[in-house]
Amino acid sequence: MVRPTEFKIAHRATEAGVTLKVVGELDLGTVPVLTESVERVKHGIKALTLDLSDLTFMDSTGLRLLIELDRRATREDWKLVLIRPQHETAAAVLTATGADKALPFEDAQ
Amino acid sequence: MAPTLAEFILDRAFSAVVSMDEQGCVTGWNPSAEEVFGLKREEALGREVAELIVPEDLREAHREGLRRFLATGEVRVLDRRLEMRALRADGTEIPVEFTISALEDAGHWSFHTFIRDVSERVEADRERERLVEKLNRALRGSERRFEAIVGSLGDAITIRDREHRFLYANPAAVAHLGFESWEELRDTAPDTIMQEFDVWDEDGREIRMKDIPSVRILRGEAAEPLLIRTVNRVTGAQSWNLLKSAPLFAEDGQVEATITVIEDVTEQKRAEKRGDFLAQASAVLASSLDYEQTLRNVAQLAVPEVADWCAVDLVDEDGDRHSVAVAHVDPERLALAEELRAYEPERLDPGQGLGLVFRTGQSLLYPEIPEALLVEAAVDERHMELLRAVGLRSGLVVPMRLGERTLGALTLVSSESGRTLDEFDVQLAEQVAARAAVAIENSRLYSQRSLIARTLQQSLLPDQLPEIPGYELASVYVPAMEGSMVGGDFYDVWSVGEDWMMIIGDVTGKGVDAAALTSLVRHTMRAASEFLASPAELLAQVDSTLKHRPTLSVCTALCIRIHGGRATLAIGGHPLPLYVAGNQITNLGEHGPLLGAFSEAAWQDVTVELQAGSTLVAYTDGITDAVDVERTRFGIGRLRATLHDVAGRPAAEVVECLTGALADFQTSAHADDTAAIVLRRLAHANALQSSASRTDNSQDNGDLLAGVTHGQTD
Repeated sequence: MVRPTEFKIAHRATEAGVTLKVVGELDLGTVPVLTESVERVKHGIKALTLDLSDLTFMDSTGLRLLIELDRRATREDWKLVLIRPQHETAAAVLTATGADKALPFEDAQ
Repeated sequence: MAPTLAEFILDRAFSAVVSMDEQGCVTGWNPSAEEVFGLKREEALGREVAELIVPEDLREAHREGLRRFLATGEVRVLDRRLEMRALRADGTEIPVEFTISALEDAGHWSFHTFIRDVSERVEADRERERLVEKLNRALRGSERRFEAIVGSLGDAITIRDREHRFLYANPAAVAHLGFESWEELRDTAPDTIMQEFDVWDEDGREIRMKDIPSVRILRGEAAEPLLIRTVNRVTGAQSWNLLKSAPLFAEDGQVEATITVIEDVTEQKRAEKRGDFLAQASAVLASSLDYEQTLRNVAQLAVPEVADWCAVDLVDEDGDRHSVAVAHVDPERLALAEELRAYEPERLDPGQGLGLVFRTGQSLLYPEIPEALLVEAAVDERHMELLRAVGLRSGLVVPMRLGERTLGALTLVSSESGRTLDEFDVQLAEQVAARAAVAIENSRLYSQRSLIARTLQQSLLPDQLPEIPGYELASVYVPAMEGSMVGGDFYDVWSVGEDWMMIIGDVTGKGVDAAALTSLVRHTMRAASEFLASPAELLAQVDSTLKHRPTLSVCTALCIRIHGGRATLAIGGHPLPLYVAGNQITNLGEHGPLLGAFSEAAWQDVTVELQAGSTLVAYTDGITDAVDVERTRFGIGRLRATLHDVAGRPAAEVVECLTGALADFQTSAHADDTAAIVLRRLAHANALQSSASRTDNSQDNGDLLAGVTHGQTD
């Protein structure tokens, strides 16, 4: 058996909005988990920050989720902020697809 | 003078021993007698027993008895255990138990009285009587009302004293404990009652008298309600009971009795067991899409939980039966059951048994299977023999129905356990059968869909790679392990005039949507390539097409236009292809945005020279994202390492090398689609002979190398 994916989501709410810190691998298996977390916290908020700085891997389904959220933020008029992954593997996907420029990424502070 | 043996014993006897002569005077007075009566031996010796220890009102009777014995030899009191009051030196009276023996020696009689102080026991008995009286007053103050409430309760209620003797038991309790009457129960020792049952707690630990809540309360412990399973040692009847006890306090605050409510929870526990069984059955049914296997598992699960053996039959469109599974509680008897099943004809009698269930879709229960039924059913001697050997007691046939259709039936038979199947079992079996029917249907649909998916997948890939003059092509495609889904990877190669187009890409998502998207991307590319020479413009065209779709449709793509010895390529969100020339491996092209994803996007054409003998490897991220047991990714590093010495080798060998490395790396099936296409420029620029081959493993993703056909080489 393949070792299960390491994946954690930490939730922090401030006056400005909600931050979800996503740690581990965002792929076919874990995207539904993040989707669900986002659905839970997103209701009625003004801003959502996805802190991807400790993301170690992301595949196309993960990227697709980010694009979807970006579109919804525009449509539903709330603010999406993405914190850039620091691991090279995850960052490379964003560079290779142009997502690092097209999506609202910010550097980790 | 040394004491005689008799004196030695008397000095240490627990009983008080008082001896007297024919005159009724004390001749012996042992230490216990000193203690019981509070009088020293020296003070007692020689004095009249009647005056010393017989209460005044009994003295005359005592003297008279002695006189009568000496005169007539008439025996009234000798050698019998008697109870009486006795007088102590301080004038108080105590209850005593005694026996008197008379000995004759040389014509004179001596009398020896063995006396026990039974004050404590008598006091306890009195106490108990008082308690019963008090409880009677308290509980039955209005006796009719008490009986009306407690007496008619379905729950068994008992009240026990400190010695666990029953002070009260309502009729339900009397019946529950297996007694005919309250009197019979009252007169039975508590330990004896316990011996009638085997008792366990919920986890199967044996329960003894000391573990019972009422007994624990008397020990001063807190007693939580206790769930017990009891099996009557004689009848084998099993029941589940919840015991709840509470103390009854005396005025001084001591616990003087306990009251226990015995709740019969057998039905609930049975329902709970059924829930567990159903949950297990559901999990088994959902575990695999191979329904014949899951039905075998379900049959296995049904024994011995529900019955001693279980058979599963399916019915086809012609109403014929197909035996799928037989499970028996005793594997050795399975052969017997199998042989018996062979007697049942494929074409069933629609008027009885399985045939009737298939026809009507209604369950059949045979609580008892009488001999006559067997005789009637037996086809021949051997059949009869088998039927007898199996020892059919009780049987049940339930249909596996889906709406109005009956897909098959479960047959449950009780034999050696001697259990009779009842309505409860019918309900349970029907619920299992309903779940099984859904599993069968899902599985059939799945097989169908798998076939459709495979067909569709085939249609999304080129039937055959074309032959490009001066080049050699090979490819591999391995769908993800979920066989029923159409994957998102695609590639295609076609000619446009003198030039050749080669694309590889990946639509995110799976299933019919992904297939439609793949188809759209391929056809847009093919059509647009007729009038757009630039790969970057082709990608822009696809991007625009995708953005017009109502739902988010994104796709990665690498598009290459091959013209002579040069290649122009544009990349949209796709891994850069690797270029192997000699011992150098480099990336080709520039990253461009994912197609269909972003509002502002532009792509860049890059034109490169493809050297003679060089190899271009285009792939999807299924290769680099592949994981091993430790979840390490195959990654670009391993990919490069794999390709480091492939320069000059035939394209098909490069594919083989790649798939081999991947197979060695991965231990499980592919989580994602994997596709790669290898383009090799032939070593001799003038070599017009070319070849093409394609590896398509979509039929069998177990062995990556299965189905590889080697391309011709120059």
